[in-house]
Amino acid sequence: MKTQAFHILLALREGAAHGFEIRRRVAERTEGEVRLWPATLYGTIRQLSAEGLLEALEGEDDPDEDARKRYYRLTARGRAELLAEADRLESLARAARGTRPVRPT
Amino acid sequence: MRGENTAARATRAYTRVLRVLPEHLRQLHGSEMVSDFRRLAREAVERRRSVWVLWVRCAGDVVLRSAAERYRDSMDGSVAHERGRRDFREGFMDAIQTYRRALRALMRRPGFTAIAVLTLGLGVGANVAIFTVVNGVLFRPLPYPESDRIVVVRHHAPAINLEDMQSSPGMIELYRESARTLTRMAAVGMAQQNLAGTGQPERVDVVRVTPEFFEVMRVTPADGRVFREEDEAPGAPPVAILTHAGWRTRFGGDEQVIGRTVQFEGQTREIIGVMRPDFVFPDPDAVALLPMQMDPARPFGTFGLMSLARIAPGETLESVRAELNALRARIPERFPDVTQAFLDNSGFNASVEPLRTRLVEDVERALLLLLGSVGLVLLVAGANVANLFLVRAESRRREMAIRSALGASRAHVAGVFLAESMILGVSGGAVGLLLATIGVRALVLGGPIELPRLHEVGVDGTVLLFALALSVTAGLLLGVLPLPRLKSTGALLRDGGRGSTVGRSRHRTRKLLIVAQVAVALMLMIGSGLALRSVLRLRAVDPGFRAQDVLTVGVSLGENVDRQRAIAFYTRVLDELRALPGVQSVGAANALPVERSGLNGSSFEIESEPREEGELPPVSMYSAVMPGFLETLEIPILAGRAPVRHDAEGGPPVAWVTKTFADRFLGGDAIGQRVRFATDTVFAEIVGVVGDTRTFGLQEEIRPITYLPMNTTVFGVQLGIMRFVLRTNGDPHALVPAVRAVVARADGTVPLTNARTMEEVLARSIAQTSFTVTLLLIAAASALVLGVVGLYGVISYVVSGRAQEIGVRIALGARPAQVRAMVVRQGLVLTLAGVVLGVAAAAASARWASSMLFEVSAYDPVTFVVTAIVITAVSAFAAYLPARRAAAVDPVKALRQE
Repeated sequence: MKTQAFHILLALREGAAHGFEIRRRVAERTEGEVRLWPATLYGTIRQLSAEGLLEALEGEDDPDEDARKRYYRLTARGRAELLAEADRLESLARAARGTRPVRPT
Repeated sequence: MRGENTAARATRAYTRVLRVLPEHLRQLHGSEMVSDFRRLAREAVERRRSVWVLWVRCAGDVVLRSAAERYRDSMDGSVAHERGRRDFREGFMDAIQTYRRALRALMRRPGFTAIAVLTLGLGVGANVAIFTVVNGVLFRPLPYPESDRIVVVRHHAPAINLEDMQSSPGMIELYRESARTLTRMAAVGMAQQNLAGTGQPERVDVVRVTPEFFEVMRVTPADGRVFREEDEAPGAPPVAILTHAGWRTRFGGDEQVIGRTVQFEGQTREIIGVMRPDFVFPDPDAVALLPMQMDPARPFGTFGLMSLARIAPGETLESVRAELNALRARIPERFPDVTQAFLDNSGFNASVEPLRTRLVEDVERALLLLLGSVGLVLLVAGANVANLFLVRAESRRREMAIRSALGASRAHVAGVFLAESMILGVSGGAVGLLLATIGVRALVLGGPIELPRLHEVGVDGTVLLFALALSVTAGLLLGVLPLPRLKSTGALLRDGGRGSTVGRSRHRTRKLLIVAQVAVALMLMIGSGLALRSVLRLRAVDPGFRAQDVLTVGVSLGENVDRQRAIAFYTRVLDELRALPGVQSVGAANALPVERSGLNGSSFEIESEPREEGELPPVSMYSAVMPGFLETLEIPILAGRAPVRHDAEGGPPVAWVTKTFADRFLGGDAIGQRVRFATDTVFAEIVGVVGDTRTFGLQEEIRPITYLPMNTTVFGVQLGIMRFVLRTNGDPHALVPAVRAVVARADGTVPLTNARTMEEVLARSIAQTSFTVTLLLIAAASALVLGVVGLYGVISYVVSGRAQEIGVRIALGARPAQVRAMVVRQGLVLTLAGVVLGVAAAAASARWASSMLFEVSAYDPVTFVVTAIVITAVSAFAAYLPARRAAAVDPVKALRQE
C-alpha cells in the first residue's frame, strides 16, 4: 500500500472527515512530514473508494463553502486492510531492527 | 484587500490548471480541490507566506497526479477508452521523442547552442535580477497585516516654500481627537543616540514611537511587552524595546534579556521587550524602540514627526484625505497664533498616502526605468538568438522538406523547431535565474545603493513565475519565427536547394529584426547618454566649498546635553584638533553641506521691514557654526567678518547669511541688518555675507541659509552632535586615529561617528544616481554590442548567400571598392532605418524621462546626434568586415561552384 493511502486510511480511523480535515490530521500525525496536496489527496481518495476501502457521505450544505462538503469514512474492508497493513509494517520494522526475522530460516 | 485578491487570483489560476486532470477525477473531486486550495491560499495569506509558492506546489502536484492517473488508466481499465488512451500515450511518447531528438540536434551544434543559451541567459538574468528587486521593493505588500491600510499623513505649505513637512504634535493631537476615518494615529521619529553599557560607547540608530504604533502596525513582540500609555507619561520609568538586530548584536541573543538595563544618552532604561526578526521598520539598522514623549504643549509648529495611522474599516484614502483637510477649519480655534488667512495664503494642506508608497516613492521611477531598460536588452538579445535560429532553420530546409515528403505533417515539422526553441528558452531561463540569484545576492549584500526594503528582497514564487514566463515566451517566439518559411518546402526540394540568387523575401524577417535591434539599442544609448550627461553635470556642480583634503568626523555628546557644557567641550576638542600635526585648519558646525541632516528652518522677520498683516514671512534654514568652519571649507566670506570665539561667549547676538539670502530678502545689502527667527526672542545683527553652498544635495536648488553662533537661542539648534571639519596636509584618513585620541582624552564615553572625507560626502550624495547610471550604461552597451553582432551576422550571411552573384559581378569588371560599398550600403540602410525609429521612440518617451534628468533637456541634441553617429559608425564597421570578404571573392571559384 502506498504511504499516502495508508495515511489517509489511518486518519479516517479517528472518524469520518472531509478532505481538508484528512489533510490536517495527516500533517499533524506526521508533524508536517507528509503533506497531501489537493490533487494527490483526492486522486488517492478516488482510488481507495474504487477499491472499496472508504466511502463518501454527502454532507449538509455548508453556507460557508461553495463546494458540497463530502465526508469520507472507512468501510469494514478498509479497516481490515489498514490493520493488515499495520501488522505487515510492524513485522517489517521488527525485522529491520533484528528482533524477529520475517520468515524463519 | 490585497491578500484576498491574491488568494482569489491564485485560486482561479489553480482552477485552470485542474483542466489537465483526467475528466473523471475532475468531475468527481474538482470542486473539492478548488475549495481546499482556496482555504490553503487564505491560510498562506494569513501566515504571510507567498500564495504563489503554494500555487506552484499545488500545480506541480496536479501535473504529477495527472500523469500518474493517466498511466494507471492506461495500465488497466475499460476497453471503451482504450483508443483514446493509446492516442494519448503515443502522443506523449512522440513528444518525448521529439524533445530527445531536438536535444541531440542541439548537442551536435555546441557552439550555436552555447551562444544562444548564454545570450538568452544574460538577457533573462538581467531581467530577473532587476525584477527581483522591483518585486521586493515595489510590488510585495509590507509584512504587516492589512498593510495597505496603514497610511502616512504629511503636510504642505507650498506658498512659503515648505512643500513637504511631516506632522506636528498639535496636528496629531487634533487628528486623534477628531478624525473618524482613522482608527489610531502614532508618531514615529528616527534618531541617533549614544549607547553605553554594551561595550564601547557608540552612536546607534533608534526609533521613537508612541504606544499607538504597535496597534497601527499590528506587530507584537517576540518576548516581553510593548509600550503602554503610562510609558510615555512624563516621569515614567524609562524603558526600551530591543529590535531583533539589537538583541542579537548588542546582547548576544540573551534569552533572559527582559529586565536587564541599557543606557541611551546616559539614561538607564529597562528592557521590556524584544521585537520579532521580521520587524525592521522603518530602519533596518535600528537597535531599539524607545517611547516617545511628545511635546506636552502640543504646538502647531515643528512638523518633524512622522505620523502613521490605520484607516478605519469602511473608509478609503479619499475619505481620509477629505476629512483631514476639512479639519483645517478647526486649526485656528485650537491654535490661537495661527490665523485662517495664514493657512489660506500658505496653501496649507494635508496629504495621505499608503505607507508603502511613501517608502518607495523616491526609487520607484529609477527602478521601473531600469526594468524597462533590461527588458529592451532582452528584446535585443532575443532578436539575436532569433537570427541565429533563423539561419539554422534556413540551413535545414532540405531536411524539413524531406521529412514532409516522407509524410510528416506540418505540425510535426513545426514541433521540431518548437522543441528546440523551447529547450533553448528554458535553458536560457535556468542560466538566467542562476545569474540573477548571484546578482541579487551581491546587490543586497554589497550594493552601493541604499534602497528602502532592500532586506526584504529575495527570489520568491512571483520571481520564479516571472522567470518561467520569460523563458517560455522566448522559447515560443523563437520557435514560431521560422514557421512561415516552411510553406515553400516543396519547391525547395524540387530545385535541389541550389538557389542561384537568394530571394529577397527570405531575408525580410532577419532585416526587420536588425532594424528593431538598432532602434532599441539606440533608444537605450540615448537614455543612458542623457543620464550620463546629468551625472556629469551633477559632478561639475560647484558645491560652494572646496572638498579636497578635508576630513570630517561627527562628535556626539547626546541629546540631553547641557548647552554651556557642550560649548565648552566642543571648544576644547576644536583647540586640541587645531594643534595636531598635519592639520592646516579646523572648524565645526551642527550640519554639513550636501548632507541633509542637522539643519533646521523657520520663518523670520527683518527689523527694518515690518510685515503687513496677512503677508507671508520669509523662511530660511539655519545651523550653528564654530569659528574656522567657513574658512576650513573655503566657503568665501563676501562681506563683513568671519565667526570668532567671542561670538559664542557673551558677545552681542550675530548672524551670517548666504549670498542668496542677502539677494533675495535684503536687496544684496545685508551687513548691519537685524533679523529674528520666529521662535527666538532677540534680533541678531548680520555681520557677514558668505558664499552659497548646496545644502540639500548637489541636485537641489540653492536655498537661503543663516549661520548662527553656538550659543544661539533659536529653537531647534541641536548641539547633540557636532560635525568637525579638518583641512589636512596629505591623506585625510590618516588623521582619524589622532582625532579619536583627542576626543577620547576629552571624554572617554563620547563616540566618534561618520569619519569620512568631504569628497566622500559629495560622492555619497550622488551615489544612487551614479549607480543607476552605471546600470543604464551597462544595459545600453550590452544592447549596442548585441545589436552590432546581430548586424554583422546577418550581413555576413547575406554576403555568403550572394557569393556567386558577387563572383559574377567581379568577373564582369566590378572593382573591389564597388563591391565593398555595395555591401556596406546594405548594412547602413538597415542601420539608418533603425536610427530613425530609435530617435522617434526616444523622443516619444522623453517626457517620461525628463523628471530624472538634471540640467539636461530630454531632447538634448548633443546626446541624440552623438549616439546616432556612434551606432552608425559601429554598424558601418560591422558591415565592412563581411564587405571585405565579399570583395575578396575569387570569381573563378565562385563560378565553378555554379
